[in-house]
Amino acid sequence: MRGMAFTKATAAGAGVALLTSGCLSSGSSNDAGGGSSAGTAKSEVSIMFGFGGDQTQGFKDSLEPWAKTNNIKIKYIQAASFDTLIRSSVAGNNAPDIALFPQPGLLKDIQKQKKLQPLDDVLDMKKLESSIVPGLLDAAAVDGKRYGVPVSMNFKSLVFYNKPAFTAAGYTVPKTIDELVALTDKIKADGTTPWCVGLESGPATGWPGTDWIEELVLKQSGPEVYDKWVNGEVKFSDPQIKAAFDTYSKLILTPGNTFGGAKSIVSTAFGTAANPMFTSKPGCFLHKQGNFVTQKGFLSEAIRAKIDTNLGVFPFPKGKFDTVETGGDLAAMFTKGDSNVTKVIKELTENPAFGAAWAGPADRGFISPHKDFDVSKYGNEVTRSIARNAYSATGIRFDGSDSMPAKVGAGSFWKGMVAYSSGQQDQDATLKAIEESFPKK
Amino acid sequence: MLKVINALLAILSGVLGSLLLYYVLNKVVERLPNKWEDRVKPYVFAGPAVILVGFFLIYPAVRTIVFSFANSDSTAFIGIENYTDLLGASDFVTGTLFNTLLWMIVVPAITVAFGLAVAVLADRLQPRAEKLTKSIIFLPMAISLVGAATIWKFVYAASPEGTGQVGLLNGILAGFGVAPVAWLQLSQAHANSLLLMVIMIWSQVGFSMVLLSAAIKGVPEDTIEAGRIDGATEKRIFFNIVVPQIWPTVITVFITVLIGVMKVFDVVYVMTNGNFNTDVIGVRFFNELFTNGNNGYAAAIVVMLMLAIVPVMVYQVRQYRRQEALR
Repeated sequence: MRGMAFTKATAAGAGVALLTSGCLSSGSSNDAGGGSSAGTAKSEVSIMFGFGGDQTQGFKDSLEPWAKTNNIKIKYIQAASFDTLIRSSVAGNNAPDIALFPQPGLLKDIQKQKKLQPLDDVLDMKKLESSIVPGLLDAAAVDGKRYGVPVSMNFKSLVFYNKPAFTAAGYTVPKTIDELVALTDKIKADGTTPWCVGLESGPATGWPGTDWIEELVLKQSGPEVYDKWVNGEVKFSDPQIKAAFDTYSKLILTPGNTFGGAKSIVSTAFGTAANPMFTSKPGCFLHKQGNFVTQKGFLSEAIRAKIDTNLGVFPFPKGKFDTVETGGDLAAMFTKGDSNVTKVIKELTENPAFGAAWAGPADRGFISPHKDFDVSKYGNEVTRSIARNAYSATGIRFDGSDSMPAKVGAGSFWKGMVAYSSGQQDQDATLKAIEESFPKK
Repeated sequence: MLKVINALLAILSGVLGSLLLYYVLNKVVERLPNKWEDRVKPYVFAGPAVILVGFFLIYPAVRTIVFSFANSDSTAFIGIENYTDLLGASDFVTGTLFNTLLWMIVVPAITVAFGLAVAVLADRLQPRAEKLTKSIIFLPMAISLVGAATIWKFVYAASPEGTGQVGLLNGILAGFGVAPVAWLQLSQAHANSLLLMVIMIWSQVGFSMVLLSAAIKGVPEDTIEAGRIDGATEKRIFFNIVVPQIWPTVITVFITVLIGVMKVFDVVYVMTNGNFNTDVIGVRFFNELFTNGNNGYAAAIVVMLMLAIVPVMVYQVRQYRRQEALR
């Protein structure tokens, strides 16, 4: 009897297996998530994005008045974990009309399913090419077509410092990496830990560490090596990448160089990592972070109230090269041929004044990618100087980890920086582990 | 508003629809000759449920097995490469799998032991004190594991030395003038995994206690009396008279917790996301699917998990049947 039941069950199982096997997903379908065909005009346009808090409000404040006058309703989908949500909604054929990708690498991954619409014919690329900071526009190009166009930028090649304390101690802004190393040693010799670093960011813990490595690769080995590295042609174990890890280790992981010690940086939240800089006896003097550190919830309100007197900023010192790094949110479109969706994405990307309310006096961590954006709209001199710096830069590259395949850029590279910084893994093992995870072509 | 109405309509039509379906099927079967009516009726009533379960359970399971032999975006078959890749990666075997195994050994055993201890000891308290003790121990059961993990984050939190310690443990250490410890980074001897297990145990002991307490109260008083009259010590009474009679409950609790532990995800994801060598199968699966976008690896991991859970479930079903037979 038991044997019979078993045979029956096996037969049934095999039957289902036969029915379902062989029919793997076909892989490509050019129909958009919304499934709409050409010539429609949706009354409600959905936008998914990953930034939160004050930035969300700034984004709404910028878009809402325009949407009202154009009689389009916007559905804002704020995704605390953007990479997860966009993947599952695309896989479930429930993609938003527009998504703002912080990571071109993820965008390219998703474009493997061919559900995004190329923007070359939708947007006025000529105009964008002259108006947008160079290097950003091609960050999300696949096979020569552009699928993502920047709405905002996060300028990354910056070092912040406690202005009054820095000046009082008689330090000068370093111009080269060697000078930065010398300054670090000098601050330490004077009895303060030089750097404040925080790598903790929930499930994304580790990304601020990748910014360090990218910065150093750009500055020490230059944009060409950087591009090849991002594409996987230069290996992580390459001496040029190793050199970046060495400098990172020399600056940050050397005992006594970081507030709390190297072990504690992986459990220090990136957002509030700079706060010890402003205690009555400064806990540190230097902090490398993107421009968004000026927004609410990062520095304390007391510091923010007089940000221009409290906070100083200098460009990350140059090495052999002086290419700068930026991140940003790239608008991508899933819905094809819908006039209202097109209108919205045009407003987001083509209007050089978009984001004025987002930048605003409140300073919500926004920098426009348009060189002709009115700089006076930014809330304070710190952000204005960063923006001017960004708009005049000649060589710019997009955040490397964000451009790598998500498996590396949002996976093994993050985890590697955590294991390496906390001393869990030595340099060779870390580089080997990241290299192994890089998808083979 | 429209959505609420839609949902209500869906529920209403679903319930009425299935009622109608059964009513019609029943009427049809009743028209059959008596002998056939008896034969067919069980299938008619059980059938729709079996088909639904099959559709929502067996079909996805089989699809998962199929996908586990396919590439990362499920477009072509690649044989057993996913399995060989995973089992060949040292961080998967000595990290993820080993940690999961550790969870499976430690958590159910301690949960049952603690639950049993509390149940036995509380049994001897005044009724009021017993109720209070049990309520307090049961309380964490009501907290979702994500919530529990967030609470425990504040227990293990570590700030740099010299700043105020937010974390409870480091706060206590600071009180004694000891330097803060980064608890979640203590990967020596998997100490950090054990610290994560504490959270799971904390939240599951209540469940274990309630079931075991009920079982202990169900042990016939006369068997214990008989032992006392024969001069058995308390220890002997407990191990030779009480424990054998509550053994089936012990097994049930053990296995329920075990299955829960094999699927553990939330605690580890919230606390470390698998960093510092605390990765477990559930978190690895999530990261393969959602971070790395690798359907093949994710499916292969799930299949391995299924294979590991099946014997446990078979054992539980057998155990249950044996109990039924005894009654």
